[in-house]
Amino acid sequence: MTDTSRRTGSGPGRLLVAVYGILALAATARGIYQVATKLDEAPVAYLLSLGAGLVYVVATVALATDRRRLAWWTVSIEMVGVLTVGVLSLVDVGDFPDETVWSAFGQGYGYVPLVLPFLGLVWLWRTGSRARTQDVPATSDDLG
Amino acid sequence: MIVPLALLVGALCLALGAWAAWFVVRDRAVVLRQLWGAAAIEGALVLQAAIAGVLAATGSPDVDGVLLWGYVLTQALVLPIAAAWAFAERTRWSSVVLLVAAVTVAFLEFRLLQIWGTV
Repeated sequence: MTDTSRRTGSGPGRLLVAVYGILALAATARGIYQVATKLDEAPVAYLLSLGAGLVYVVATVALATDRRRLAWWTVSIEMVGVLTVGVLSLVDVGDFPDETVWSAFGQGYGYVPLVLPFLGLVWLWRTGSRARTQDVPATSDDLG
Repeated sequence: MIVPLALLVGALCLALGAWAAWFVVRDRAVVLRQLWGAAAIEGALVLQAAIAGVLAATGSPDVDGVLLWGYVLTQALVLPIAAAWAFAERTRWSSVVLLVAAVTVAFLEFRLLQIWGTV
């Protein structure tokens, strides 16, 4: 239990990886479809759509295989992405965020894209701090 | 797409999801019987894909092929992955994942019916 609880891909992390995986599949498949069939309609939005999907794929793999640094980066990118595109789609800047996972804060996906990065960061933080408290002796005076 | 078969798939998914949810509440890991249930659903999905293939080949409804097969393929992947996880994760969280997987397949079934134009 002590060993597995520190890994990002086990225990409650399984749920996170599962939901990330489904979102990765959905967003990437949709992105590929959009870029392949109607790129000229809204190139920025569709390339963003595909890019967002690929970020989810990397995040899923990072969480599943316990690659913390990569997970931190990708989950943070998602949070910035969903908040930025969410705001932009609300103020309606041209056709920019037309049909991406992040449009309207992920409304089309039940707001899962909005909630997920927060859960991801909390999970990374919790498993990380647990790992530290186990590794570092109580008398340690390191600053990290 | 045959509507009764789609409804059967949806009902089986929701039943499996409810079963998994019960296991989540009881703090239990997925058991083999649930995976047999998942296998039955997977069988129905393969049958459905075959029927959809024949119907699409004969051109009965005019559907977007890429979209349709993307969904069919995605839907077929979800339960096997959850099943593989059930062996790796012997805690209640495997039940949570099976619940999510079952609901996802049910939702994809609904989207498939929309794509097919029957809903």
